[in-house]
Amino acid sequence: MPSLPQKKVGIVACSGEELAEGTVTRLAALKVLEELRPDDTVTICLPLFLAGGEGDRAFARFYPTIAVDGCALRCAARATEEFSGKPAAGVVVTEVAAQCGLGQIAGLRRLNAAGEQAVAETAATVADLVDTLLDKKWSRREGRFLDAEPVIEETAPAKSAASCACGTGIPVQTVQVNGENVTLIALPPLLEQFKQMGKRPSPETAAELLAQVQIYNDVPAELEAMYQETLAQAYALFCGAEEAAA
Amino acid sequence: MSAYLEYTLDKFTFKVASDRFYTPEGVWARADGDRVIVGVSDFFQQHNGDVAFAEVQEAGTAVAAGAPFATIETIKVDVELSCPVSGVISAVNEKLELEAEVINQDPYGDGWLASIDADAWPADQANLMTPEAYFAHMQVQAQAEAENL
Amino acid sequence: MSQKVVIVPCSGIGKTYGTVSREAAYEVIEELRPDTSQLAALSMLVLGDENTRTAVAANPTITIDGCKLACATKMVQASGGRVAQEFAVLDVFRRNRKFKPQGIAELNEGGRLLASALAQEVAAAIDAIGQADDLPPAGGEDA
Repeated sequence: MPSLPQKKVGIVACSGEELAEGTVTRLAALKVLEELRPDDTVTICLPLFLAGGEGDRAFARFYPTIAVDGCALRCAARATEEFSGKPAAGVVVTEVAAQCGLGQIAGLRRLNAAGEQAVAETAATVADLVDTLLDKKWSRREGRFLDAEPVIEETAPAKSAASCACGTGIPVQTVQVNGENVTLIALPPLLEQFKQMGKRPSPETAAELLAQVQIYNDVPAELEAMYQETLAQAYALFCGAEEAAA
Repeated sequence: MSAYLEYTLDKFTFKVASDRFYTPEGVWARADGDRVIVGVSDFFQQHNGDVAFAEVQEAGTAVAAGAPFATIETIKVDVELSCPVSGVISAVNEKLELEAEVINQDPYGDGWLASIDADAWPADQANLMTPEAYFAHMQVQAQAEAENL
Repeated sequence: MSQKVVIVPCSGIGKTYGTVSREAAYEVIEELRPDTSQLAALSMLVLGDENTRTAVAANPTITIDGCKLACATKMVQASGGRVAQEFAVLDVFRRNRKFKPQGIAELNEGGRLLASALAQEVAAAIDAIGQADDLPPAGGEDA
């Protein structure tokens, strides 16, 4: 059975050591990971991320990621954007504290009462964002939800998705759609899964395949028919190649 | 370099070397001429954490398939390993004494544990899992671990 | 000693080691050597914060890494810092086998004891660096 990535949300916390708010981010992220949304979230270790950890960087490219920062320097958000892609959402503890009217947060090692409250509020905010992100379609290319207003400024060229070749382990396949090369995340295991389920190449199968592909890739609405046709060809080729090898 | 079967779950990728055989616990065995080299799988080292100490019975010790032959202590757990083959230990990886983390860094290469003069490798091999079978077994273990977190 | 040794812990969040590194760093700067050490956040260094980069460039640095991936050491070196000594929690655990740490958000007793043992080693390293720096340079002014 192929490994089919389950959609999850990555949490990257700044864990800044110099401010108590950094400790808040750490504890809030862990609260979300361990208590509030354990099945839906994955931690991204910021130092490993900075030092080149390909698993963490690939995850942050592939899945929507929430940056949890202590202060306006937003190290976690900036690091995520620099080494993977724009975070799907960001939370800043100083802003959460201001919105909730909390007192001065203090205590690098042992947070004071305001710090403990900030942990709870920040964790709740992050948990809500996790729910939102799992419900909505997030475009990594455009850095926005697909339901939202279109971005007015020029869209940056799509970053290449993580690929097996660099050792990240995220399976991808490049296909041609409307004369252009498009890299589709999770296509190889999807093809394998459909084959194992005994689905024969057909327009209905292609439509089902498109629906699955859309979970992991943003497909412009006006190009859905072309994507479906490409997927139909890809699946037919895949089945033919599998039978020839058998 | 041997080919690998790879499984990605969340941000973790687990590799299974396809040129050796496995116990369900993740100990691998690979024939090398007259000897069998043994070690632990990538999933084993990722699952159990950074190795602090690895103690293998010394060269010259007779071992039996299924009997304990080594202990790995990580910061998380102490794991007693069962030997995948019967025979006599001919060599123990010298790096384990001062650089036990080599098991984490290169579990299928420099992180080998011991080489064994096997009594009956064909018979022992038949009792081990093929790479494909271990791969499937490992996937189930990895998913179960992820769900228990 | 006119300089303050910069302590850079990895603070990794994925394993208990990261919390041990963080806790040890705090114990050093708050209790053991408050006058001769200072903290620097790894992410600020990597992302180019001027004050952090200046501190690391001007002072000897001690890194505390949770595991053998050595993220703090690698990134300090990549940022042009001089790593005077590097510590790995795993190595300190090997010297203090009875202190088995658990917990990431909060350390167990073994973790707290391990962090303290590590902090003591770091403090000793700071003293050694200070003594070395107080010696007259062999060939003239330090660069």
